[in-house]
Amino acid sequence: MFHYLRNHIQAFFRAIIRVKSNWPSSIIMILVIGITLCLPATGFLLVENASKLSSKIEYEAEISIFLNKSISQDQIDFIRSALEQSPAVKKVNFEPKIKAWEKLQEKLKINSLDAGISENPLPDAFFVTLNTLDSNIVDSLYNDIKVLEGVKEVIIDSGWLKKLRSLLYLIKAGLLVLGALLAMVLTVVIGNTIRLQTLTHQKEIEVSRLIGATDSFILRPFIYTGIFYGIGGSFVTIGLLTIIIELFNRIAFKFESIFGGLIIFSNLTPSKYIFLAIFATALGILASYFSASRSIRTIKNID
Amino acid sequence: MIKFNSVFKGYPGTKDILQNISFEIDSGELVFVTGSSGAGKSTLLKLISAIESPSAGEIIFDNQNLSDLRTGDMPYLRRKFGMIFQDHKLLFDRTCFENVALPLAINDTTSVDISRRVRAALNKVGLLEKEKLMPITLSGGEQQRLAIARAIVSRPAILIADEPTANLDKKYADEIMSIFYSFQQVGVTVIISSHEAPQSPIQFKEFYLMHGELVKPQDVSLLT
Repeated sequence: MFHYLRNHIQAFFRAIIRVKSNWPSSIIMILVIGITLCLPATGFLLVENASKLSSKIEYEAEISIFLNKSISQDQIDFIRSALEQSPAVKKVNFEPKIKAWEKLQEKLKINSLDAGISENPLPDAFFVTLNTLDSNIVDSLYNDIKVLEGVKEVIIDSGWLKKLRSLLYLIKAGLLVLGALLAMVLTVVIGNTIRLQTLTHQKEIEVSRLIGATDSFILRPFIYTGIFYGIGGSFVTIGLLTIIIELFNRIAFKFESIFGGLIIFSNLTPSKYIFLAIFATALGILASYFSASRSIRTIKNID
Repeated sequence: MIKFNSVFKGYPGTKDILQNISFEIDSGELVFVTGSSGAGKSTLLKLISAIESPSAGEIIFDNQNLSDLRTGDMPYLRRKFGMIFQDHKLLFDRTCFENVALPLAINDTTSVDISRRVRAALNKVGLLEKEKLMPITLSGGEQQRLAIARAIVSRPAILIADEPTANLDKKYADEIMSIFYSFQQVGVTVIISSHEAPQSPIQFKEFYLMHGELVKPQDVSLLT
């Protein structure tokens, strides 16, 4: 066990020496990984924030129930009772037509005489806040309310949210495909860099083999180099994402008057950043292992 | 220790480089593999050191038939040999110390031991004061001595040198040969390829190769 660890520690330091001795191309490699990973990560970040935003809006969305003008108080009470008993309903707010008319007049700064309107054109209405996002329950509730006596019209305000959610789902799937493609590109780029490094160290590999080095001994520093690239790349991605979020939030701040502070971009959670680092490191290991082991096999002993 | 039984070595599409080679080398012997250029000396040394494998025949090392060994075991076998190549095969991007330390790093030696043994090996070949220099700054003779230091640092049972004095003048060549003799004196088996056997102060065995065949396996006692 101790020998095994010592072998890895030796390989670790040999890899550090190689990365250091070749620092310009190492930095470029790390930047390439970081920026490439940043593309799907930024998309994912935006979708995550948009999803959060949509769930927030949906939570505050209402079902608007407009009643017949000739509805009786008993019917109104029955509808209220039916709504309050529904497990999907969080809050029921009844707005009498008189109050609605007053609000409208105040908002439009008119009165009925100025407008030439002899009677209140608005109906009584219920505004129902739901405690569920399940579209089946919402649809079922919608159908139940629609058939109640005295109900003229029911409007679900969250229809557009369904479309948004579907769109976000599609974008997420697209980002997953993009991420997979970019991961393949990164594997090739890292692999090619490592292959070039094996050629740079060709003589060292040949001599090491002649004096008894195993292939795993020769391979290990290259794998550690791949690990350094992966970890370095993930740090670059994390840094870039933090800057991007800061920029987005500054832009969103300018629209605070419109959205009322609704749009605040939040960073990825630590667990997602850990996943990102592990993913980048795994890419580095895979690419360096396959590329270096293949390249080392093809290097023949010198005469 | 090492036994060749009717060994042939060739490559596809070419005539066999070595044909029907049989000999035996005992532990602690000094052996010269001699012959003109192209006789197959280097190939024979590669077969002895398990860098190449024979086309036919068997090579026995310490009662172990090398053809029975798995590919993965070959590196461990090679660690038993100290190899000195004609062109030295030094790494010019590493210091003298780092070059000599390479076999020890491969052999999983602690850094304290590496430091001690590398300095001892450099001291043995008279290069201790040049440990921090790059090999490119050394003369041909010094580079050869550095290669010897790298070969002896892991205390191998067998030293194999491929024309170690070919490019050196007589003064340096004598220095190098005296180093090999000193190792043979302490029980190390020394196998050296050369165009001709030198005047040796100690008893040695000579394998003379001509066109890939062993012409004159013989014991030679000279001087003393």
